[in-house]
Amino acid sequence: MTLHRRDFLKIAGAGLAASLLAKPAFSATRSKPHVVVVGAGFGGATCAKYLRLWDPNIQVTLIEPNDKFYSCPMSNWVIGGLRNMDDLTKSYEHLPGYGIKMVKDTAIGVDADWRVVTTRRGKKIAYDRLVLAPGIEFMTDLVEGYAEGEAAGKVLHAWKAGPQTLALRKQLEAMPDGGVFVIASPPPPGRCVSGPYERASLVAHYFKQHKPRSKIIMLDGHIDVVSKGPMFKAAWKQFYPGMIEHRPNNQVVKVDHKTMVVTSEFEDVKADVINIVPKQRAGDICAQAGVRADSAGVWCPVNGATFESPTVPFVHVLGDSVATNMPKSAHVSNNQAKICAAALVELFNGREPDPYPVIGSTSYSATSDHTAGPIAVVMRHDPEKGTYVRQPGGGASPEGDEINFEYNKAWFEHIWADTLG
Amino acid sequence: MNMKRREAVVAAILWLATGVAGAAGPAPTCLISGKEKPASVCAAHTKTISATCFICHGPNGKSVAAIPGLAGQDKDYLVTAMREFRDGKRESTVMQKYALGYTDSEYEAIAAFFAAIK
Repeated sequence: MTLHRRDFLKIAGAGLAASLLAKPAFSATRSKPHVVVVGAGFGGATCAKYLRLWDPNIQVTLIEPNDKFYSCPMSNWVIGGLRNMDDLTKSYEHLPGYGIKMVKDTAIGVDADWRVVTTRRGKKIAYDRLVLAPGIEFMTDLVEGYAEGEAAGKVLHAWKAGPQTLALRKQLEAMPDGGVFVIASPPPPGRCVSGPYERASLVAHYFKQHKPRSKIIMLDGHIDVVSKGPMFKAAWKQFYPGMIEHRPNNQVVKVDHKTMVVTSEFEDVKADVINIVPKQRAGDICAQAGVRADSAGVWCPVNGATFESPTVPFVHVLGDSVATNMPKSAHVSNNQAKICAAALVELFNGREPDPYPVIGSTSYSATSDHTAGPIAVVMRHDPEKGTYVRQPGGGASPEGDEINFEYNKAWFEHIWADTLG
Repeated sequence: MNMKRREAVVAAILWLATGVAGAAGPAPTCLISGKEKPASVCAAHTKTISATCFICHGPNGKSVAAIPGLAGQDKDYLVTAMREFRDGKRESTVMQKYALGYTDSEYEAIAAFFAAIK
């Protein structure tokens, strides 16, 4: 381990010097490099799996506190009654078959000098490279009364799939006909920009069948329906006329769960069911590692070719936690994970990582129980600009349809299989 | 076979088998984004741009649902399809948006990758 680490520091210190590229990639005495991945979501699980597939010499430990995986994609389908929790609950059972060591625990500390991760149960795990894919955490203190309302079970985000997904579904089922469902979304950037609009659509689909006098009020921190706008607006008009009120530029600042009043910068709204998605930032472990280092201290800057932090060597970040112009989506997280895994394979073997990786981003949203539509864009890394550049030709479909509803279902199956299967 | 030649053959086999340059001879190069790079860079590029497709089309391009599979498809068929998507000659939902974001040489590399999967 010591020899290898010294070897490795030399590689890192010298960057990608030609002398090292000429270094034999095989060595009988070379020990196996160890990558620790934190978080088994679309970023972390994909990275762990592809590291093992692409270089079985790399040892991979995956730290994840949950027994099961709850998919955010499809969670709006559960909230709208199209699917149930079992459909979006996936097992981690296949990952150990790739040679990934699963550790059921929570990473709580990182010593980036000694390259050691500490877990809640007191384990210390040494790494050669650390990949942080913890997902988001909520800045609940920005909404007065949020924490109390959440503790009382009256204010839900349902923006991480799991118990809150089911809780929101049950509250909507218990709501009387003629009730008001308030869904509030934060200003950008945050996880899944089109998610609130899909959620409004599918809850409207449920109301239309079972509670047709009910209303949905969207208090939206965005300036408009910013993702797939024409598609959602057309669907709301066609399928749910008069049911969804979209109020843009309307950020929530306060909630009182006792009176069930949501207060935005402009108005008070009385609600029967309250769904507030607070502003988000990279998971806490990123702060512990010192990589939650953008100007606001909210997201994690990375080198786009390797997803390594520019300030903390050997620490990489994937998924929603990354400071980026890419959408914060499952599709992007999975793609980033493969680029990071491929880069690590090259680095561990003394070769230059691809400076020009390409990320494709597709996201489907359902507008009813039989229609959906995609948005797609290709982004190419430009090492001179230090960012990914959107290629011309990307965009959203102007309306949802039945074929894309089938493709949406296929996308679920395939991204789950690619990440966890 | 003398020692030197044997080494060169071993290096070539290693290269073919693993994509890793052996010690003997100059490392092969390739052209990517107008820059000359070690061939391993292009190999890694092809690997990740192909693996991108797995998300919609299934791991290794093996579909179990409505989105068509890519594994084992004829290479020329896949390249032609990408060109037709790009030029709007073939109807698509997202594929034109993707085709416009990749180059002709990337079409070739991706098509070769999936054609080789049985």
